[in-house]
Amino acid sequence: MSEQTNTATVDPATKAGKYLTFALGKEEYGVEILKVREIIGMMEITSVPRTPHFVKGVVNLRGKVIPVVDLRLKFNMEEADRTEETCIIVVAFRGMEMGVVVDRVSEVLDIDGEQIEDAPAFGVDVDTDFILGMGKANGRVTILLDIAKVLTNGELEELATTADTAA
Amino acid sequence: MQDRSDLTRHLVSLSAELLAADPTDSEALVRIGAAVEEALEATEAWLPQDQEPLTLILAVLQAVYEKRCPNADAAMMAMATAAAVAAGTAGGRPEEIPDAPAVLAQLRGLAAAEPQAPASAPETSAPQNIAGAAAPQAPSASKPDQAAPASDYAQPFTMPADTDLSLLAEFAVECLDHIAAAEGSLLELESNPDLPEPINVVFRAFHTIKGTSGFLGLDRVQRLAHLAENLLDRAREGKIHIRGGYADLALESCDVLRTLIESVREVQPGAQVPVPPKFPELLAVLANPEAAGVGEESEDAPALRVGDILVGQGRAQREQVEDVAARQGDRKIGESLVEDGVAAAKDVAQALRTQDKLTGRSAGEATIRVGTERLDSLINMVGELVIAQSMVAQDPDVQNRARPRLQRNVAHAGKIIRELQDLSMSLRMVPLKATFQKMARLVRDLARKAGKDVRFVTEGEDTEIDRNMVEVLNDPLVHMMRNSVDHGVESAADRTAAGKEATGTVRLRAYHSAGNVVLVLQDDGKGLNRDKILAKARDRGLVESGKELSESEIFALIFHPGFSTADQVTDISGRGVGMDVVKKGIESLRGRVDVESRPGQGTTFTIRLPLTMAITDGMLVRVGEQRYLLPIVSIERSFQPESETLSTVTGRGEMVLVRGELLPMLRMHRLFTVPAAVTDPCHALLIIIEGEGRRCALMVDELLGQQQVVIKSLGKSFEQVAGISGGAILGDGRVGLILDPQGLLELADRSAASMAA
Repeated sequence: MSEQTNTATVDPATKAGKYLTFALGKEEYGVEILKVREIIGMMEITSVPRTPHFVKGVVNLRGKVIPVVDLRLKFNMEEADRTEETCIIVVAFRGMEMGVVVDRVSEVLDIDGEQIEDAPAFGVDVDTDFILGMGKANGRVTILLDIAKVLTNGELEELATTADTAA
Repeated sequence: MQDRSDLTRHLVSLSAELLAADPTDSEALVRIGAAVEEALEATEAWLPQDQEPLTLILAVLQAVYEKRCPNADAAMMAMATAAAVAAGTAGGRPEEIPDAPAVLAQLRGLAAAEPQAPASAPETSAPQNIAGAAAPQAPSASKPDQAAPASDYAQPFTMPADTDLSLLAEFAVECLDHIAAAEGSLLELESNPDLPEPINVVFRAFHTIKGTSGFLGLDRVQRLAHLAENLLDRAREGKIHIRGGYADLALESCDVLRTLIESVREVQPGAQVPVPPKFPELLAVLANPEAAGVGEESEDAPALRVGDILVGQGRAQREQVEDVAARQGDRKIGESLVEDGVAAAKDVAQALRTQDKLTGRSAGEATIRVGTERLDSLINMVGELVIAQSMVAQDPDVQNRARPRLQRNVAHAGKIIRELQDLSMSLRMVPLKATFQKMARLVRDLARKAGKDVRFVTEGEDTEIDRNMVEVLNDPLVHMMRNSVDHGVESAADRTAAGKEATGTVRLRAYHSAGNVVLVLQDDGKGLNRDKILAKARDRGLVESGKELSESEIFALIFHPGFSTADQVTDISGRGVGMDVVKKGIESLRGRVDVESRPGQGTTFTIRLPLTMAITDGMLVRVGEQRYLLPIVSIERSFQPESETLSTVTGRGEMVLVRGELLPMLRMHRLFTVPAAVTDPCHALLIIIEGEGRRCALMVDELLGQQQVVIKSLGKSFEQVAGISGGAILGDGRVGLILDPQGLLELADRSAASMAA
């Protein structure tokens, strides 16, 4: 857990900035606005066989094929029915683009450094590495995500192992 | 030439040439005449009416060209004046324009003095002054620095300081393309020196290079291109045949031109451009090849005549045609032939068309260059346009029968968009032809150098491949060619001793197979020496002693880096030089190279390249609610099985009997765990697919139709998904997954293995 302490000691001021907030179930999450490319409506997703369950598949983003991950499934929440508000946030990091299915996009939130608290340590078994911090603004708590870590943490390895063990 | 400034620039360069030319040098006069003719042709349409001096100048120059002018000296003087006028006009410096009316008067006098009958050629007529033609204005002293005397051609030359760099870059690319085309045609001529079209291609290449380099003031390039053009012009007229020494000369001109252009490209304006070492010698030889001992086996020169074409096509008898030609008089030979019943009118018309085609200048394809990024986004956009269009077409409002006009218009738009799509799909792909031609040239040169007799056979040069891949592919191919010719094919003596044909054969084949582009390079040389490779590998500790290796494993050792230096493996004929480079190059394209060899019979390299970025024809199949694309090339056929042809073999899974052959049956819905799919094979469809020589029957619900799609990568995350080679955008905007037959077979193997375990 030493790594986690490291992240925790990062100056909160560096985390300040604009976040796009969205809802998953009753919780509110935020993702750095600079990593967000665009928000698109829900569309038909082509599922890719032999991939982890949270990978919904791929979609066509104006001629470009990008993978789509269901954040609910990734966070071990129940899959929700699609509504008018269900949408895909396209994020870009490390040179790749990826779509993230969320229940609803809320707003763009400007959060100061002092409004951000470190992610709580839940104990050894809970990995909170992908949480940048907890934002407190407008009387609500928003979980600020390090989206790159959410989406790549173990995912590639998991994909590789899926392919291997599937036999 | 786009506008007036281009014309004037061109005239300036012409003037410079004129001034430097020796009036007794008929060759130079002809050359200048050709340039004048070209200028006339290009400017005729928009030559300014108020520029009477210019028109007159050009007319006089043309007269010189046609050698109708009785006095070379006077003509030269007139030209010098004309050049000065042109230069003054071009530079926009009126004070430098000589007294125009006076010049005009002289020129008119000169034109009037022109005899109608052809006079003796200017170079033979003694210089004499025509009264009044001694133009004192001729500012010949102000110009000679613009054109270098022949002896200076060995010196580096200076790039004009006002060179437009982007223009220069375009020029270089264009020239290099032309040179490549010329080389290809020259090689074609080697085997068939009488084909007119290749000669024309080469001629046009030199001609264009000459023209453009003239604009840019690159006189060395222009001079060389010009002389080479003359050589080809003689071939065009049937005076010589491009073979033997002439072919070598033309090819050498290509090489030197390329070197020159490449150095020009790298030099800043105003800087010195080095000249290739043998440049002056080459110029001298080109100026008069026969004097330098260059020639061909003498042969009657058949001109390109209608009669010859007819005889060549077997439509008429030679004796008859010649008979008709002898008494043809003023009439056209075609008419006479038809009238005398020697040939049918239809055949004559056809021959005339052939003649037009062969001699015409229109065959060259015009091209422009576009960045690949813009091209890619264009292709993407067109793809999206197609989808958007089909959404409109399927909209209930449009489908409403009450609105036939709307329906018609939408359908019309759809047709256009589909054409647009076909076009955009083909943009990125280029045939391998250019690469093959390069290799042909390489083999030819290598064989000459090594003193070997090698026949180079290509097949499938129309196979299309992504442009980006062509560039990467070049290096590995060069390495492999070099190996095959240098070390694979034996000398004629060795071959005869081994009881083989004295001429070795190197074969390069390309074709599409199972979603791959396959290149096969085959030689009939001595083959790899497996024992020596193995011994060497053991020596170097690459293989543990005592360990047995299969043949293919041994041959694969030649791709090992460090296994490649000639001094280490001289005994096995040095093969392996740079083979690690080959492997790396191919692998960077995500391709594969295999080697097969038989002692005494030769070696075969097989390169398989994936179709990343390439266009593929796919069959859309449905399994449950999922749709997949299966590369058409890997599909053998599809059918609905009868229950009695199905069986289950222990340890090998389900099998189906197809035409007496037992093939494994793969259920797509099981492999990919697709819900709601047809589970009874008798109600489903079986598609026989082939991958890497293995076959199996793939069970799907139904076939939805054929589609041409662009393969798109699924990105890093999905690179390793077994059985899927990529994605493609389908007609409704959704992503379709492209199946990889090879991967499916491997997947089936693994599941069979786990079932057996």
